[in-house]
Amino acid sequence: MKDRDKENLNELLEKLFDGEQARNYIEDARKVEQILRQYPAPEPDDMLIANIKAEVVMRLPVRRAHLARRKLYEVAAVAAVVVLAAFAAVRLFDEPGPGRHVYSASLIPKAIWESQDLAADDENLAVFQTEIQQIEEEMLALESDDNSSESDTAITELEMELIENSSDFWKG
Amino acid sequence: MKMANDDLARIIIGCKDGDAKCFAAIVDMYASRCYGYFYRLTGNNDTSDELLSELFVKLVEKIGSYKGGSFESWLFKIASNIFHDHLRSKQRRKKLLEAHHGQLEAEKTEQARSDGEQVDKLQIQLRRLDADTRELVMLRFYSQLSFKEIAKMRSEPIGTTLAKTHRALKKLRELMEG
Repeated sequence: MKDRDKENLNELLEKLFDGEQARNYIEDARKVEQILRQYPAPEPDDMLIANIKAEVVMRLPVRRAHLARRKLYEVAAVAAVVVLAAFAAVRLFDEPGPGRHVYSASLIPKAIWESQDLAADDENLAVFQTEIQQIEEEMLALESDDNSSESDTAITELEMELIENSSDFWKG
Repeated sequence: MKMANDDLARIIIGCKDGDAKCFAAIVDMYASRCYGYFYRLTGNNDTSDELLSELFVKLVEKIGSYKGGSFESWLFKIASNIFHDHLRSKQRRKKLLEAHHGQLEAEKTEQARSDGEQVDKLQIQLRRLDADTRELVMLRFYSQLSFKEIAKMRSEPIGTTLAKTHRALKKLRELMEG
């Protein structure tokens, strides 16, 4: 209604029609509006209005559910954007750029650090590794049932060695 | 006027939030004008009742898509679409009737429907205008929209809208005064 009131019909008509036509237009419009007011359309009855309002109320939960679902989608979309932005930012700031280098020094020589054969690279480690292997082998031999006679022999040898040592001790 | 516009804006926000009272206020504000628009286009009370109900149901469904601007323009655009859908379905029904019972039977049905209601002189003369012209005049009168808004709604140049309206007003005046 506001726009219609603001509309300058005379000015608008004068742009498109000549003076006489514009005047006729205004006169016809005025007359028809008068006729339309003289013959008003019937009003919607109160029962119809009440039914419409009731139907609107019935449909509101559907609209609310739709709104809630839409809000949820919006929140999910925003969350997804935030996660993507964070991921992109981390990638951007974490990756050293072409002009950035990270300098580091290692306490262990690079050749040893990268080698798969530690024993070959360090003499002490080689000795230590050999001893470990011997102990492992002895343990396996003692634990094995098949080698019970051998273990008995070993125990006997140990006992004899002990007696011998004891005798030497008492002899001075 | 400013206060009324603020009130309307508040009511529309309430509608968007799903407030039943705000929808009821919109129904109270526009039911009469929209009913008049439908009645003058269809000439039938029952059809106007149905179309008015459909309009407000659509309003509930579509209020989220209203993004400001003239609310009347937006509402009457929906009303116009509903009327055109009604015309199309009426055409389909008529074709079906003609196919099954012949033209005579279809005309009898239309006549019987019209006879059931008291129709005023204006309604009789409006029938003598073509549907598009009739709608243009009713849109201008009941929606209270400017010609600029009506032209925009109908997706046609304002000059076309004004020329069509001029012919329609002239003819309707002649019919009513003749």
